[in-house]
Amino acid sequence: MTSSKIQALKRQKEIKHKKKKRQTPYAVLATTIALIIYLMLTNYHLHLSGFWIIGILLGVTMQRSRFCFAASFRDPIMVGSTSLLKAILIAFIISTVGFFIIQYRAVALNPEYLLTEIPGRLQPVGIHTALGAILFGTGMVVAGGCASGTLVRIGEGYIMQLVVLMGFVIGSTLGAKHFSFWDRILISEAPTIYLPDYLGFFPSLILQLLLLCVLYYIVDWYDKKNSIMATM
Amino acid sequence: MEEYKLDCLHEACPIPLLKALKQLEKMEIGDILIMHTDHNCSIANVVEWAEKHGHHIDYIEIAEGEWEIYIEKAR
Repeated sequence: MTSSKIQALKRQKEIKHKKKKRQTPYAVLATTIALIIYLMLTNYHLHLSGFWIIGILLGVTMQRSRFCFAASFRDPIMVGSTSLLKAILIAFIISTVGFFIIQYRAVALNPEYLLTEIPGRLQPVGIHTALGAILFGTGMVVAGGCASGTLVRIGEGYIMQLVVLMGFVIGSTLGAKHFSFWDRILISEAPTIYLPDYLGFFPSLILQLLLLCVLYYIVDWYDKKNSIMATM
Repeated sequence: MEEYKLDCLHEACPIPLLKALKQLEKMEIGDILIMHTDHNCSIANVVEWAEKHGHHIDYIEIAEGEWEIYIEKAR
């Protein structure tokens, strides 16, 4: 939606800044280099080449869609918009089904499974989870981006996030150094909970999907209610 | 009709949006707010918000990775 006044202002600026460099050649060059590296890696190490291409595709998707984990959890509270949170919930629904297939196959092959052998990094849950979440959440809102968001924005050339990256590196190093302390007092004490152990595979899949759908419904309702209040 | 400028360079989201909200409250209907930003997420943010609230909005890239967002207060 635009107006005549805005159009006039835009036209003024367009005349002033007509000379814009085309970035297409750089894009072609970067894509070619990425593909060459991919092809070289397939000969050398099939797994690595997969990671390489998946990583690049993820990055492109995140940049073009402006997908931002920090914004998805911050916007509902700060500006009342839940469109990104809904996107995250849909991603959770899709990955739940995906992980179900992967884990079901792994367990079907090996019925006497150990929790550590199941694909998907099952970790103990406890107070440390909540503590870490609060720390990370505060940090990402102050810094304006989570890990992936920060990296995507540095790639775009957004300078402020370079400062965040420094903090990110220092923080992860300290975290790695202190991990044994946290592990000793909290993490090793906490249980690893794997729902299919208690409920069976299909019931836990349905339960999780149901919960996610309920969350989606609540979040959608919150957005509608919020925008009505805001436009009144 | 008055024009207001808002410098939002190097500000993380959602600070540009919150600054615009505050500034728009002070303005009269028909006034124009020009925001200068280098954060393309705040464009998405501000455009979504302004359209929800029925303000006129558009933006243009004025240099590599720098944008101006125009908002006309409509209500």
